[in-house]
Amino acid sequence: MTYLSLFWAFFKIGLFSFGGGYAILAMIQQEAVVRYGWLSQGEFADVVAISQMTPGPIAINAATFIGYRQGGIPGSLLCTFGVILPSLVLMLAITLTYLKLRRQPWFKNIFQKLRWLTLGLIGAAMVIIAQGAFTDWFSVLVFALSLAVYWRFRPNPIYLMLGAAVFGIAFG
Amino acid sequence: MAKNIASIFWTFFKIGAFTIGGGYAMIPYIHREVVEKREWISDEDFLDGLAAAQSCPGPIAINISVYVGLHLRGRLGMAAAVLGTVLPSTLIIILVAELFGHYADQPLVRKAFHALKPAVVALIAVPLVQMTRGAKLNLSNFWVPVLAMVLVGFFGVSPIWLILATILFAVAQGLWRRERPE
Repeated sequence: MTYLSLFWAFFKIGLFSFGGGYAILAMIQQEAVVRYGWLSQGEFADVVAISQMTPGPIAINAATFIGYRQGGIPGSLLCTFGVILPSLVLMLAITLTYLKLRRQPWFKNIFQKLRWLTLGLIGAAMVIIAQGAFTDWFSVLVFALSLAVYWRFRPNPIYLMLGAAVFGIAFG
Repeated sequence: MAKNIASIFWTFFKIGAFTIGGGYAMIPYIHREVVEKREWISDEDFLDGLAAAQSCPGPIAINISVYVGLHLRGRLGMAAAVLGTVLPSTLIIILVAELFGHYADQPLVRKAFHALKPAVVALIAVPLVQMTRGAKLNLSNFWVPVLAMVLVGFFGVSPIWLILATILFAVAQGLWRRERPE
């Protein structure tokens, strides 16, 4: 039953994640934290932090991590397969039809509206992770510092993450 | 290099193994490998595929791997490209998940994650602000992302409903405009 839920949850995540990357996080949180309770809000933020420091797409990282925690290696493979299955089917179809459709105004209109929504979903992911991340003044301080450094110098995210980890170990 | 299945797999495996920072970070590397270095696919075809990959649901790196793989060697090429993209993350994360299970409660790991989580919030905030600038938001549509953020972020509404509602609205608007051309 767990295996089925794992596959089904990540299939839905793959199917309803428009806009890639951070926009997917809101969908993962909805399924893995709110609906199934596989992770707490704080653990979800851990998983996102880990995904930022490991190679590959965030959705794949999160799927493998949550699947492994819930159902070992079979669970991790099922979740990963679930999250990519919609891509396999839909991209196959889209590759054959999209290139003709995309100049149609009504079709363009759908994606323009979805883009606005995507911004909101990324904002939601930020709010959700903030809820698991802001536990005291120290975390607010780290946020402010990271924001300033990332805004001003735009380092590779991995260096920002390593810097934050060292800062946390030294002063946290 | 020839477009054989092994070289397709290996190219995407390298991209999957060495790009940190999620799917969007992988796009320039994929472009460099398949368009510039190997000349497997023209720049124009790649950009078409990228537009399709951004419109299709699912992780964008997987979508573009499907497109490039299909383009190169049909379904078999698609399988090789997708497997190459996914395999490194899957292997590394299984290892990390196993280790994290053992060491999550160690004081040093806890301290590191205590600082890592707020840093992630900053990592999302900066591109979000930039995307807001590029999205042509104005007073009449600004409420859409704000409402979505509040509903999903604070009230736990599933993004599925908002996506379906948005698609329905856009389709209805399209039909309405066709009935009454300006």
